[in-house]
Amino acid sequence: MRFTPLAALLIFLPSLAQAQVPAAPSESTAELSSGFGLQYTIERIEVRGNRKTRTALILREVALSPGDTVTADDARVERARLRLLALGYFLDARLSMIKGERRGGVVLVIDVEERGTIVVGAIPLGTSDATTLWGGMDVSERNFLGRGLSLSAGFVSSTRPKVDGAEPALGLSLRMAGPPRVHGLSLSGNALFSRGSEFFRARGPSDDPNPAEFVAVNVRRAGGVLGVGAVLSRTTYVLAEARFEAVRAALPSLRDRTSGQGAAQPIAFLVREGSSRLGSLALTLVLDSRTDPVLPRAGQHLVVSLEAATPACASQYTYLKATAQGSLYFPLSVGHVLGVHGLLGGVLGDAPYFDRFFVGDLNLLLPPRAFGINFSTQPSRDFLGTAVADHRYDKLAGRLLLEYAVPLWQRHRFFYRGDVFAAFGIFAVTNPDDLRRGGASLGQRLPADLTADLGLRLDTYIGIFTLSVANALGRLPL
Amino acid sequence: MRYLSRLLALALALAATIGTPASAQEPEERKTGISRRDGRLLVSLGLQDLFRTPDAQRLLSGFTSRVLVRVAIMRLDHAEPVAQSMRQTEIVYDLWDEKFRVRRFEAGGKVEMRETATATEAITLATALDAFPVVDLDRLEPGVSYRLSVRADLNPISQELLADVRRWLARPSPRGRAGSGDSFFGSFVSIFVNPRIDESERQLRLVSPAWVEPPR
Repeated sequence: MRFTPLAALLIFLPSLAQAQVPAAPSESTAELSSGFGLQYTIERIEVRGNRKTRTALILREVALSPGDTVTADDARVERARLRLLALGYFLDARLSMIKGERRGGVVLVIDVEERGTIVVGAIPLGTSDATTLWGGMDVSERNFLGRGLSLSAGFVSSTRPKVDGAEPALGLSLRMAGPPRVHGLSLSGNALFSRGSEFFRARGPSDDPNPAEFVAVNVRRAGGVLGVGAVLSRTTYVLAEARFEAVRAALPSLRDRTSGQGAAQPIAFLVREGSSRLGSLALTLVLDSRTDPVLPRAGQHLVVSLEAATPACASQYTYLKATAQGSLYFPLSVGHVLGVHGLLGGVLGDAPYFDRFFVGDLNLLLPPRAFGINFSTQPSRDFLGTAVADHRYDKLAGRLLLEYAVPLWQRHRFFYRGDVFAAFGIFAVTNPDDLRRGGASLGQRLPADLTADLGLRLDTYIGIFTLSVANALGRLPL
Repeated sequence: MRYLSRLLALALALAATIGTPASAQEPEERKTGISRRDGRLLVSLGLQDLFRTPDAQRLLSGFTSRVLVRVAIMRLDHAEPVAQSMRQTEIVYDLWDEKFRVRRFEAGGKVEMRETATATEAITLATALDAFPVVDLDRLEPGVSYRLSVRADLNPISQELLADVRRWLARPSPRGRAGSGDSFFGSFVSIFVNPRIDESERQLRLVSPAWVEPPR
């Protein structure tokens, strides 16, 4: 963006309703705003300070070449500097010019200061009634071999769950992604292996998390995802993915659920017994105009995805899954921020349980899955007195959350920014058969529950953290 | 009830750990020259400390450096400014003529061009406010207390560009929690060296001592 005085006024003034707004610059001002008429021809480019990062990678981001003409206030220069910083490989990046061999010629000098590029992205850690301890880590090297490749590896492991027949969980993930490109395509690949148990209620009331009331399905999944992404505009990203998994499921010998009256009903394990294959194609569209991805003050974030698993993809599961998630952020006059988060999703067809909507992923007060593995038998709290405690994996899901964030500080030394936030919302999960069930109450056809969170989000020198009540509840059997 | 009481206890524990928030850095109070002439309030103030030694050296880069100074006048009993005035200055070093060219844009579209031999002179032109008009006196009420709030930015970055950079840095997964285990609120942690990319390369925030507007 060309940073004219008019642009400065437009950027910095809107909140000052009563301010005395200077007049727009005159025509003569606009004419003068062209780098003082200083124009140089780049004779060569020198890159300094890069011990690990390839020079070619830096030059590609800068997008200037010998022979190009630059002005003193060339917008490409500031954008190039910020793009270098945005790569995440450098603590600082500066562009400058020194005299060249001929008058009007310059050497463009790019000075970079490299930084560590190993990132801890997630630390799944917790305990529940069913699993004494699970823990793991997801670590990325964002500048692998200095080529801008992102290599991520993660694992999660657990003790043997207290559910009869369950096995200790192990999840492994390996992901590689090409360097981020503003123009052009970015390739990614992801390999996943997981071994663990999913728990299905065999007896007892729906709100009882006692692991003795559950049976275990032991499932092994091995596969991967290949993706190609493209940045369509400053705020729009599209991703196409092809996925294939080999699944092996060992079902328990007890396959009926006994109700309180002694009647038995077959348990829907939602996965094929023995070996099976899952193949799908997915398309995801992301619109992101937030002012900040961590502590947004305004803007919106919309993610719409559609996944189709068909025999044409060598899949034995045939289904269509659509998910739309949106977040809108409204700045309030007192500096606070109101966030509205919505989710709608539906599955049509025969999806395995791990591709359905899991209540722990919707309810902030329950432990979420890690690497697709669930560690808990905790049902939803059922604050509304519906049949939600009986629902774990469903085909239809919706959630609406309101979040109120209050900035606590800004520009402190170690803590750049901090927000205290409170979120409150409602979610519903159901299946088409439940929806159509005649004679059932609304709470049985469309089970819903309240969810909430209260906590602190921190943007710090060493990373980004959320300390919240829901976070604690997700990790402890409370 | 058991859950609710535990939830409340957890919330209280969390609130206790938050404690007193680290306050935002309070702007320094700096002596400011105030005068009234031709029906306007004029301000004189030095902001040369916006530049540190490396910044002064970077003026030789051949690329334009910008200084944006904003002066707002506030009633002590109101949060919103009564008026604001600003000035943007551009400094560029001519690599072949070996001199600094300085251009100042002021409110009302006035543009002033100067040339200097040294970086110090260029910095002074960009950061010294000398009888800088802030507001028409008829917008100030006699007997009311006012103070000036001053903010100076070196090489400000547009909000749009800043958001782009932050987005690339955080590079979040395109899928949300319901899709893959990420979370809007939950166990979201990311540990890395996280350099602050600010709205500008350096920022100076000052306030003037308060004064009571005299009767006219």
